[in-house]
Amino acid sequence: MKAFDYLKPDAVPAAVGALAANPDAKLLAGGMTLLPTMKQRLAEPAALIDLAGIAGLKGITLDGDTLTIGAMTPHAEVAASATVAAAIPALAALAGGIGDPAVRNRGTIGGSLANCDPSADYPAAVLGLGATVITDRREIAADDFFLGLFETALEADELITAVRFPRPLRAGYAKFKSPASRYALVGVFVAETVAGVRVAVTGAAASVFRAPAFEAALAADFTPGAVAGLSVDAADLNADIHAEASYRAHLVTVMAKRAVAAALE
Amino acid sequence: MAEGTAPISPEGAAIGRPIARDDGVAKVTGRARYAADCRPPGLLHAVIAPSRIARGRVTAFDLDAAMAEPGVVAVMTPANRPPLAEDPDAKTAPIVFRLDLLQDDRIRYAGQPVAVVIGETLEAAEEGAFRLAPAYAAEPALVDIDAAEPFVPETVGLGAPVERRRGDVEAALATAAHRVQRRYETAAQVHNPLEPHAVVAVWEGDRLWVDTPSQNVARAQRRIAGLLGLPPDHVHIRSPFVGGGFGAKAFPAGPQVLGILAARLVGRPVKLVLSRAQMFGAVGHRAPTRQTLRLGLADDGTIAALAHHARVASSRFDDFFEPAAALSGGVYAAGAVETTHEAVRLDIATPVVMRGPGEATGSLALECAIDEAAAELGLDPLAFRRLNHADTEPISGRPFSSKALRACYDAGAARFGWAGRPLAPRSLSDSDGRLVGLGIGTAVFPSMMFQAEARALLRADGAAIVELGAHEIGQGAATALRQIAADALGLPLSAVTLRTGASDLPDAGGAAGSSHTATAGSAIHAAGTALVARLAALATADPASPLHGAGNAVLFAADGALHAGDGRRDPHAAVLARAGLGAIEARGAAAPDRAARASHAMAAHGAVFAEVAVDPDLGAIRVTRLVGAFAAGRIVNPRLARSQLVGGMIWGLSLALHEAAQFDPATGAIANADLGAYRIPVHADLPFVEALLVAEEDTLVNPLGVKGVGEIGITGTAGAVANAVWHATGVRIRRFPIRIEDLALAMPGREKEDDA
Ligand SMILES: Cc1cc2nc3c(=O)[nH]c(=O)nc-3n(C[C@H](O)[C@H](O)[C@H](O)COP(=O)(O)OP(=O)(O)OC[C@H]3O[C@@H](n4cnc5c(N)ncnc54)[C@H](O)[C@@H]3O)c2cc1C
Repeated sequence: MKAFDYLKPDAVPAAVGALAANPDAKLLAGGMTLLPTMKQRLAEPAALIDLAGIAGLKGITLDGDTLTIGAMTPHAEVAASATVAAAIPALAALAGGIGDPAVRNRGTIGGSLANCDPSADYPAAVLGLGATVITDRREIAADDFFLGLFETALEADELITAVRFPRPLRAGYAKFKSPASRYALVGVFVAETVAGVRVAVTGAAASVFRAPAFEAALAADFTPGAVAGLSVDAADLNADIHAEASYRAHLVTVMAKRAVAAALE
Repeated sequence: MAEGTAPISPEGAAIGRPIARDDGVAKVTGRARYAADCRPPGLLHAVIAPSRIARGRVTAFDLDAAMAEPGVVAVMTPANRPPLAEDPDAKTAPIVFRLDLLQDDRIRYAGQPVAVVIGETLEAAEEGAFRLAPAYAAEPALVDIDAAEPFVPETVGLGAPVERRRGDVEAALATAAHRVQRRYETAAQVHNPLEPHAVVAVWEGDRLWVDTPSQNVARAQRRIAGLLGLPPDHVHIRSPFVGGGFGAKAFPAGPQVLGILAARLVGRPVKLVLSRAQMFGAVGHRAPTRQTLRLGLADDGTIAALAHHARVASSRFDDFFEPAAALSGGVYAAGAVETTHEAVRLDIATPVVMRGPGEATGSLALECAIDEAAAELGLDPLAFRRLNHADTEPISGRPFSSKALRACYDAGAARFGWAGRPLAPRSLSDSDGRLVGLGIGTAVFPSMMFQAEARALLRADGAAIVELGAHEIGQGAATALRQIAADALGLPLSAVTLRTGASDLPDAGGAAGSSHTATAGSAIHAAGTALVARLAALATADPASPLHGAGNAVLFAADGALHAGDGRRDPHAAVLARAGLGAIEARGAAAPDRAARASHAMAAHGAVFAEVAVDPDLGAIRVTRLVGAFAAGRIVNPRLARSQLVGGMIWGLSLALHEAAQFDPATGAIANADLGAYRIPVHADLPFVEALLVAEEDTLVNPLGVKGVGEIGITGTAGAVANAVWHATGVRIRRFPIRIEDLALAMPGREKEDDA
């Protein structure tokens, strides 16, 4: 692995400044994606800007019906949080199903969203709940945040500071795990909110997406049976050595049913 | 019993005792020193640069960039690789595989070493190998077994006949009341032992010291000495522990020799360890197969004809053809039987023996076809197998030296609870709504034996050292062989030390073919017998011995003493002390009994029962129970034998459900060259697995009556799991490993749901 500089700023502006000054630098959160990528030489940043020294990027608060999670909050903390469990139990369960204990103790929600892996779990919750991504300079609605394969609305030197989730009436998440990494081969997040039903699918395509037909069916009848006969078009889905598109399409229906069942529990 | 043969005393004997493995504590505490643990002074690190293309030529290296990397000492390419005494492409012996040792710029498979970078540190060498950035002239590569032109090879396996026949299969098929024809596919697999291939090479003038894992140190010594032009005794191979081989370490692989050449090039000790990704390249694999089974059945359920045809694959430049059909000549009685092979050549590395080569893949197809035939006739699959029990070996008509298969069926079925299994598939489910199925497979593995030598030394204190170049590859050989030695010498286990795992010791044959205990054990038995005979001669000739004048033949050795039948005894140490000898030594050799093997078929047998639970929505399969019952002659150590059998059964489960090396048709490289995507079962995948040992006595197979337990567990199991999946779901998947998507998308009732 190539040699690199290591910076550890203690405030958001310093981190953003360092990133703006050095386009070949990268922010380092939990390192669970960035470090393996560097080992595989898929990334060779000239410098790493570690966010671990910035106070205030980490933590969970509930204000009325709004749950806010700091970007540097590790998955394990979300999974174990009584606040999250009370406000959005499906989110706590989702965080507890990410990777393995080592990954959950290092990996962060900000890193996961910025990375925008097509198989990551958090994007399903953020899009499914209609959350808001907060950065050093603006707020981005979930519907505008995920643009494509590893591609988000973030600018090159933009830093996620927190994510704001509205509390749903009820929500559920189900995924088919890769047996090795636990990444979602397909994951479906279903939420009934005051604004309507939202269904977000991860793992199946280049990026997380909403399934309008499923949303309409569930708005009329929030039961597993309502989506049992629906399917997404396999032509739009990923095919790789892990699964063919037709099986991913099949999984979307099965996981949607299970997510609704989980929401009703 | 031949004169002078030491009877093995059953009373208090070491053989048959379920002792824990001798090396267990050393292994779990990290004291066991594997090749890669060796760090001679002045050690450098070598790293292979593997080819990224599967066919073509290397046109350039960026040598300057590699050498500019701090810590890089040298780059070995075809231009500067030290000379060899033999062409690595020459077939210098019948069983020698061609090696890629930088002989030219040609590339014949992805992952082939194209250069070796040597550095002061591993990191420097790795960075140098990356900076070397080979440039290629790529040619289109073919890695698809179905797309290549087939031919009939001269032999399959290691010299086995490509075709065997008994009776007229076509005629019997034509007149059979029922016919079943099915085609099965198995995937390429990679051995993936826990310990990657590693070599630490130290040259001292024209002597070479090599620490490297090997399943056959004598063969490795001969091959390496031949390539380097050294007398074999100048090559010292040490392999005290092997972290699994499964056939990948049966022959020295190219990278091991490259590590030795790297040490020669730089004049310093060199360590070369393959990365996990590089284990999916130049060190062998199991080729994919396409197998067609044709069965002709009579109305009474007997098999009138059985034809097994296999298409297998080798590389373009060497021959190893998985003998996938061969086993079908020996499992079920059939009026006429035929096993045939065809082969294709692909732009892949040469496949090599991998645990149960031919037997594993062939048994999977055969056991599925037998199950499909039973279903065709509406018969219980166990009853159908019993009905077609082969009393003699079908392909040859020879009697078996011993065969307790019926007892295995009985014991396994009783323990598993086979009785009452509903005949129809998709009849059972569990409380979670999963579909449950029960399947069976017959296990069989030939009882092989090779040549071996051993030497035994008895010291004045009554302790013995037994030495031979045997191989502890994790299977427990060192422990089982010491048990055999103790009984052969009539000593308590605590008085026997075993030295193995070095080419300087007598050639004990390889740890392969599930034959190591039989082969090396027989040599130890012979050496012990010879030593006891010498001791007896000393005692009976010594007027001061209580055994003075007693005939040799009535003496036996046990508990550290010689015994006459009448209660007189003379301790080993006392015999030596009176003779004024510090030690006595004897040698023994073992070889297969050609006459017995010509007149008899020899094999271990077993019956494996599997229960699976299938998620009807996902197609996800859990094997919930595996029970195998095996008869394998005398069991030297039941605890270790069970461990071997259970390990084999896990391999069988994996063959049916998990492992597939997926070649990328675009690049010819293995796309899933890591343990995340190449799915080896982990504990979470493993159910309750139980191996029962069924008593069996065999007086013909070898003097010890020992068959093998290493590979048989794979056979039978893979088919039993596949048959259980069918019984659970009513869906017969014939492409292995069974992909859950194939199963889920073929599930009955799904189309209806989709239409809704
Ligand atoms: C073995 C393994 C299994 C895994 N399994 C799963 C799984 O089942 N489900 C799942 O969803 N994920 C899984 N992951 C991913 C893991 O959950 C992390 O979320 C992910 O690695 C990214 O988070 P991180 O904190 O480690 O980010 P890092 O690796 O440190 O960074 C990732 C990227 O995000 C950028 N970045 C980080 N923080 C910010 C920020 N605040 N603002 C802007 N950019 C930022 C970095 O510059 C980098 O480009 C797995 C990872 C591993 C190694």
